Amino acid sequence: MHSKASVFSVVLFLAAIALPAQAQNELQTSTNSPDSFSVSGSERFLQTADTGKFALIITGAAASPEIRQRFRGWTSQLDEILQRDYDYSADHVRILLDDGDNVGGLGARVAGASTADAIEEHLRDWQSDMTAGDLLSVFMIGHGAATFGDAKFNNVGPDMTGDELALWLEPYQEQDIVLFNMTNAGFEFARALSAPGRIVISATRSSAERFDPIFPRYLLAGLEGRQADLDRNEQVSILELFNFASSQVAAWYDEQGRLPTEHAVLDDTGDGLFSLNPGIEESDGLLAEVAYLNILTPDPDKQSPQAPAMLAEVQALERQVILLRNQKANYLEAEYWRQMEDLLIALARTTEAYHDLP
Amino acid sequence: MTYPDNAHSTGSSRNWQGLKVRHSSRSLITGIVFACAAANPFATSLAQPGGSDLDSLERGQQLLESGSYLAAVEALGSVRSDPWLQDATLGLARAHREVGQYERAERVLSIAIEESGGATLAAPIATRLAELYIETGRSAEALELLQELNDNSMPSVRALVRLGEVLALRGNPVAAREQFQQALGRYDAGSVYTSDEVAMVALAAWELGLFHDANALFDEAVRLDDQNLEALVLWGELFQQKFNDEDAQRNFNEALEVNRRYGPALRGLAEISAGERYLTRALDINPQDTMALTRFGALLIRNEQEAEGRRMLERALEINPELIPALATQAVLAVLQDDGQAFQQAEQQVTSFSPNNSEFYTLVAEQLGNRYRFTEAVSLARQALDNDPRNWHAHTVLGGNLIRLGEEEEGRQHLELAFENDPFNVLTSNMLQVFDVMDEYATLETEHFRVRMSQHDATVLWPLMSTMLEDSWDRLVDKYGFEPEVPVTIQVFERTEDFAVRSVGLPDIGPLVGICFGKVITLISPDTLSANWQEILWHELVHVWTLQMTDNRMPRWLSEGISTWEEGQGQPEWGRRQGLDLVRAYEQGQLLPVGDLDAGFLGANSNADLSFAYFESYMVVDYIVERFGFETLRELILAYQDEHDENRIFSSVFDQDLEAFDADFQQWVTGRVESINVYVHMEDSPDEGTGHGHGVRENSSAVLAELYNNEALRDYMQSRVEEQPRDFQAHLQLGIVLFREQQYEQALEHLQQAQSILPTYSGYPSPSLVMAQVYEAMGNEEARLAQLRIMLENQQHDANTPLILANHALETNQLDQAKYYIDRALAVDPYQPEVQRRLADFASASDDSALAVQAFEVLMALEVSDPVGARTDLAAAYLANSQRDDAKNTVLRALEQAPSYERAQQILLQSVEATPTETMGDAQEETP
Repeated sequence: MHSKASVFSVVLFLAAIALPAQAQNELQTSTNSPDSFSVSGSERFLQTADTGKFALIITGAAASPEIRQRFRGWTSQLDEILQRDYDYSADHVRILLDDGDNVGGLGARVAGASTADAIEEHLRDWQSDMTAGDLLSVFMIGHGAATFGDAKFNNVGPDMTGDELALWLEPYQEQDIVLFNMTNAGFEFARALSAPGRIVISATRSSAERFDPIFPRYLLAGLEGRQADLDRNEQVSILELFNFASSQVAAWYDEQGRLPTEHAVLDDTGDGLFSLNPGIEESDGLLAEVAYLNILTPDPDKQSPQAPAMLAEVQALERQVILLRNQKANYLEAEYWRQMEDLLIALARTTEAYHDLP
Repeated sequence: MTYPDNAHSTGSSRNWQGLKVRHSSRSLITGIVFACAAANPFATSLAQPGGSDLDSLERGQQLLESGSYLAAVEALGSVRSDPWLQDATLGLARAHREVGQYERAERVLSIAIEESGGATLAAPIATRLAELYIETGRSAEALELLQELNDNSMPSVRALVRLGEVLALRGNPVAAREQFQQALGRYDAGSVYTSDEVAMVALAAWELGLFHDANALFDEAVRLDDQNLEALVLWGELFQQKFNDEDAQRNFNEALEVNRRYGPALRGLAEISAGERYLTRALDINPQDTMALTRFGALLIRNEQEAEGRRMLERALEINPELIPALATQAVLAVLQDDGQAFQQAEQQVTSFSPNNSEFYTLVAEQLGNRYRFTEAVSLARQALDNDPRNWHAHTVLGGNLIRLGEEEEGRQHLELAFENDPFNVLTSNMLQVFDVMDEYATLETEHFRVRMSQHDATVLWPLMSTMLEDSWDRLVDKYGFEPEVPVTIQVFERTEDFAVRSVGLPDIGPLVGICFGKVITLISPDTLSANWQEILWHELVHVWTLQMTDNRMPRWLSEGISTWEEGQGQPEWGRRQGLDLVRAYEQGQLLPVGDLDAGFLGANSNADLSFAYFESYMVVDYIVERFGFETLRELILAYQDEHDENRIFSSVFDQDLEAFDADFQQWVTGRVESINVYVHMEDSPDEGTGHGHGVRENSSAVLAELYNNEALRDYMQSRVEEQPRDFQAHLQLGIVLFREQQYEQALEHLQQAQSILPTYSGYPSPSLVMAQVYEAMGNEEARLAQLRIMLENQQHDANTPLILANHALETNQLDQAKYYIDRALAVDPYQPEVQRRLADFASASDDSALAVQAFEVLMALEVSDPVGARTDLAAAYLANSQRDDAKNTVLRALEQAPSYERAQQILLQSVEATPTETMGDAQEETP
């Protein structure tokens, strides 16, 4: 954690890097503070050709065989999608499931049990495989509990609290972390994990939402085939994924004629205050918009050695466009569009150049 | 709107209060007697009351309250003992009064006063006598009597309020206000106890414009006695004055539950619905009820029964020559008939007893506005305000009529002034709310038109409407040889309620979709309709010509007849094809004589009746043009400028009186019916549709399919066609049934017969539409399209069929055909993205880059699911149309949302680069 003063100076420094020179003069105090974009002097969720991506899927104990079957199905599907549609190598996806033995058809894909000890152990060991700037996504499938203010994830064995998981993730200061807590009553658990530079999603917005959520179903639907890619950049940002899944959940309840018993929320400012509708109008969502789950991989037919670097450049420019857009309120209209035009032309030309590569 | 602390929201509490405070009749009367004993010399001679007199009094009063007036007279007339005499006298007088026996009532009261030794000694009786004087047009005598009471004793609240009313009527508003204030002062001092008195204080508050207080006081009066009929009805009338019919109706009905023969409640209900029925009932009970006579008279006049209506008014004025509403209605007739002398007479009569009366002018102005005489209405409302600037009702009337003349700013000022001082007037607040809505609307102008519409309509509709307006202007000016006063104002409302309020002040307007006031047209946005909006606009535009050519003096039937006739002249597919309805109406003897056609509009009991009134009026115009020529029609229009007598007009224009004209017309209709030559089965329901004759009209196919199984329906229809080979509906239904049974060839046979019997039939489904479906099922695409084309020759309210034909035309590169069908779709539903996409496709196929821009601009407004794609399409269109800056700015906004969208990136690069690619057409010649 940083003091307010040090965070502020880092922010200004990074803004100077990320935005064209004129923007530095225009930049005023923003309600959508870009604090979270940078921690410890590195830009959060900045994707380069070397960025590694890892996923930890924690699937807890199930209350019934039917539910166990459902949890396993989601786990298996997620594993498959990450490898197939997001270019994760198999060893970059770790599954901790149930007691580690009773795993149905997942067999060798399961790295161990989802006990609290096993989770702690895997997190402790795995970090050595990662470098600065890599992304670790944690997907939590299972039941939650929130009684007497103690929010827990139902592991096999002693239940894990949000504070415990937060503690085990603390060493990952140089990595970007996205955490999806998709259990019922998991809000308080998720809140304990809120931290600057981290994106935390909870399928429920309060401990009172006690029914098993259907959020995971639609999260998977958004991931599958990159369906949630609304801006057509062939990548799925965390914000797009969140918006896709939460709107589909709302539509499902609407179709069923039922009052929704779950409301997904997102926090990416580290303040522990989650947003129901993150995005440009809210304080949350700005970091999630530039965070992508997929691995930056050039088209398979690109032979040029420059392709990965140029693709990273494309994405960096795109990131700058989004950063600028999120600061729109701090610019005079004409100046905003002048800078936006410069960035977009640069992006278009770089994209064109990338396509021209052999 | 209801009053904030309105008792209707606490109906149960009102009942509870009533139970709590209401005493049995006996104890109440005893209470009154004791109260009188203290203050009234009547009570000084109190002897031991005779038991039988008390019984008679109680029975008489019960009978009076329940409406058994004659029995009440008998019971009350038998009371002889002094202690009960005053109450018996008051009841007796009231019983006579309720049945119109005013002279008897007066005699009873006068004798009682005389026997008491003068008015001051019998103040309650004298007050009732004064009321009787007012009711019978003797305000001077009433004033004298009430002033005597006022001068010589402590007057009752009732006497104070009545004195105030008479003073106001007789042109002394300052003194009147003093009386009303005094009445309020009594209440404030805590010296008003009974329900009757509280109701009088409420009336005083009403007279002072303290509507909120009046409402609360009426509430209190009814809580004190929920059977106080006078309070209930007065309260209802307050609601009614503020256009709150719902609450008013409830009050009137509550009064009628107590006494179903209570005239004032029946009169009140008559103003809300079923006027004739309630007024007839009121007059059955009291043939001398002057207000019922006046309202009935006005109703008859509105329904084109002027002579009978006038007689009613005269009867009312014989009884009460000071009846302002009756005099106002007479004055309205005078204005409508350009009879300046009669108007002056009415004016002078009012002035003779009520100098500087404001209500008279307000009522005249209001009625004239309802008769489309807006200019005169404005002038008279101004006169009302000259006489009393605090007449808020007059401000509302003036504001409403100014709006209809297109004088929006001044109209709004008057409405705002009225609202500030009388916020309970629903009509005023409704109209102001629409102003608030319109503040968000776009104002668009062409040379002759000023149009207000929502931003959405401005994007989608305006590009099409603007062209049509000026084209129509040229055509109509040329045709009618007349240039209307400009600018003609057109207001297009997105919400039907706003359209209704702007048009008539209240949110329910029935099936109307457009209204023309002469200089102002109000329309429902086509976005909420399923009808050809161009035909509707054209219809209303024709009204601008006919109304302005006659200074709004044209009868409704002729104005509607011409507009409907012009529909058929506007475009080949427009107009109403109601041959089946005509034959049915003819055979059922429902055709109205030409002289009664206006009554066909006013007295229509259903949408079908109203629709037929339009159709018959159109037939008359068609007949005139066919028999006498268009120039004679124009002559007829102009004749209404200076003459109001329709018979004289017809004699002068057609050289035959109305009766002879009508006979010829009926004969012509007979010929038309014979030429249609269709058998109409009387069991068949007429086709039904919404939109006041505009829009698709459905036949009974769907209903029949639900009611009967295929076999039964087929056998029944088969027997009908065997009996009557020209039974159109039977052939059509047989075709549908056989199609459902997949007997395609037999189905086609009957459908073709139906089509040959009525080739222009436009109901839904039509033979051609069903045939198209049969051919589709048979896989014969060419025949299907041919039938759809036939259908569209007669059906202008369908947007989807033109799209099918437009797609086919585009696929086969028949660009003229494609444009024709796209235009047909745009004339019904320009809000459908698919229609605009076809327009864009056509623009692309015909290299019309400007048209492409127009289509994509609209698509951008319509496309909600893919705004980035819509912006990119529009940018591409701009680029192709050499609008490079527009292209750049538009695509930047697309890329702002989707920075990696490569198609948009390409357009951006082309828009800023010196030499665009060849596919971008004209953009090559532009410098970046």
